[in-house]
Amino acid sequence: MSYTAPVLRKPTVRNDRRGRFSVTTSIVYVIFAILIVTQLYPLLWLLIYSLKTNEEILSGSFFALPASLQWQNYSDALGGGQYFRYLGNSLFVTSVTMVCVIVLASLTGFAIARFRWKYANAVLMVFLVGMMIPMQGTLLPLMIIFKHLGILNTHLSLILPYMAFQTPIAVFIISGFMRSIPHEIEESAIVDGSGVFRIYWNIALPISVPPIMTVCILTFINIWNEYILAATFVTAERLKTLPFGVYSFVSQYSVNYGGIGAFLVLGALPVILIYFLLAEKITKGMVAGAVKG
Amino acid sequence: MNVLRVSGWKIAAFVLPCLIIYSLLVFVPILVSFYSGLLDWNGIGDAKFIGLKNFEKMLTNDSIFWPAVGRTLLLAGVSMGVQLPIALCVAILISRYVRKPNFLVSSYFLPVILSVVVIGQLWKTIYNPASMGGMLNQILESLGLQSWTHSWLTEPKIAIYSVIVVALWQYLGYHILIQFTGIQNIPSDIYEAAKIDGASGLKADRYITLPLIVPIFKISVVLSFIGSLQSFDLIMVMTGGGPAHATEVVASLMYNMSFLSMKYGYGSAIASFLVILCLVATIIINGLFSKLDKRYS
Repeated sequence: MSYTAPVLRKPTVRNDRRGRFSVTTSIVYVIFAILIVTQLYPLLWLLIYSLKTNEEILSGSFFALPASLQWQNYSDALGGGQYFRYLGNSLFVTSVTMVCVIVLASLTGFAIARFRWKYANAVLMVFLVGMMIPMQGTLLPLMIIFKHLGILNTHLSLILPYMAFQTPIAVFIISGFMRSIPHEIEESAIVDGSGVFRIYWNIALPISVPPIMTVCILTFINIWNEYILAATFVTAERLKTLPFGVYSFVSQYSVNYGGIGAFLVLGALPVILIYFLLAEKITKGMVAGAVKG
Repeated sequence: MNVLRVSGWKIAAFVLPCLIIYSLLVFVPILVSFYSGLLDWNGIGDAKFIGLKNFEKMLTNDSIFWPAVGRTLLLAGVSMGVQLPIALCVAILISRYVRKPNFLVSSYFLPVILSVVVIGQLWKTIYNPASMGGMLNQILESLGLQSWTHSWLTEPKIAIYSVIVVALWQYLGYHILIQFTGIQNIPSDIYEAAKIDGASGLKADRYITLPLIVPIFKISVVLSFIGSLQSFDLIMVMTGGGPAHATEVVASLMYNMSFLSMKYGYGSAIASFLVILCLVATIIINGLFSKLDKRYS
């Protein structure tokens, strides 16, 4: 099984009527345009909404631009500093999860792909079965288990399940890639007298940067946005992650419409910024994740 | 063939940390959940073992359970029957008519990566009554369609459809992307050969694209089906299952039973049902598609 992450190849345009104007072509472009509007306009609308006064929002002129940009909404949203606390918590939880997933999954993936032992495929199967199990199924028991362990309402209670649910796909992607590394490399390393840990650390890991990037992207998108566990296991204000934080902010400030809009924009902002920078990597990573899953 | 001969303890050092953490956090809780499904327990006090009574009540004597299952399947059905065909058509059109598709595909994909909380709140705002700044009702009013305005999320008959629209909207771009990538990976010489044989346009789509896209389409089907079974965060953010259980799906019912009604044992029974449903669905879908694969190869 080789690592065949589907690539957005250079487009092979199969247009018989290239360069000629035709009715079909224009209809097709109208369809594309409509889809662009439906997919992006709600987000743009939110941005405009977040810069309006309450009166403008309630007046019913939804297309109108705000008379003057209400940056006040953003200072309302940022006031109290919750936003940055939530952001920091999300960063912390996501990055710790990411590091743990990469370490654990690359170790296991390496063993599955390169060691000669009987149970390699059996172990891989265990992870595959796990991929079919819905996270929600573990919500209640984990809640009880964590309560008994006394780690409810800590970041650990989020990182542990996040880690567990991201490892199967990570093991799968990384071991798939590591299988494609030519054997000559490690044979020569053995001749040079390197042990397995050296081979893992100095050879396998550096070569496997592409699948590890894919794993990072998948973990980032999934964990950064996770809401249900975050809202169930953590209640302390200072520990909330961004999605839950956005939710609590919105429920608290239910009449400051502009402020809510501003907080929603701020909540979406980190992911959107990263998407602007890494759009192609992210789309590739998400497809690779889907195809492997 | 793997070449590294490694002693047992080294294998253990590589594999066990991950395997143990994984089993403890995924398989053990699932087993615990199956067991708690047999209890009459509020999650805090004493638990009483009642055998299969929870399951019996769930399947035969719960007026909320089957409608919730129905809504879950409705979401899955709409997602597979409406969203995926649209996505496939769009993907085919993009691959045929657009020379630089990356911008288009990336734009369609943008809602996918946003948090469900942001998406849910955004659409709640859109669905708000016109007097509270809701865009949809304001548009309808300005078009003179007052009679079409609704309070989209609080009318029991409409609410579930309002939520489903959002779910379809958010993930459309994901399926477009997946299927577009699949079409891109079909070697273009096949199309050139077909053109010489006189098959281009729709004919080429019917006899080349469709059969060759089956494996990728399967991924979309599995994702949308499993995703629908688990869809839950969007419901929790937008309606919480209300009004009066009108938007309850299996997962939200499990949550509400356990945490709002404090029927932890009963909630666990529902959770077990959900896990089994997911496993069975995955197996069935895989089985169906392996038949389809054989037919076309």
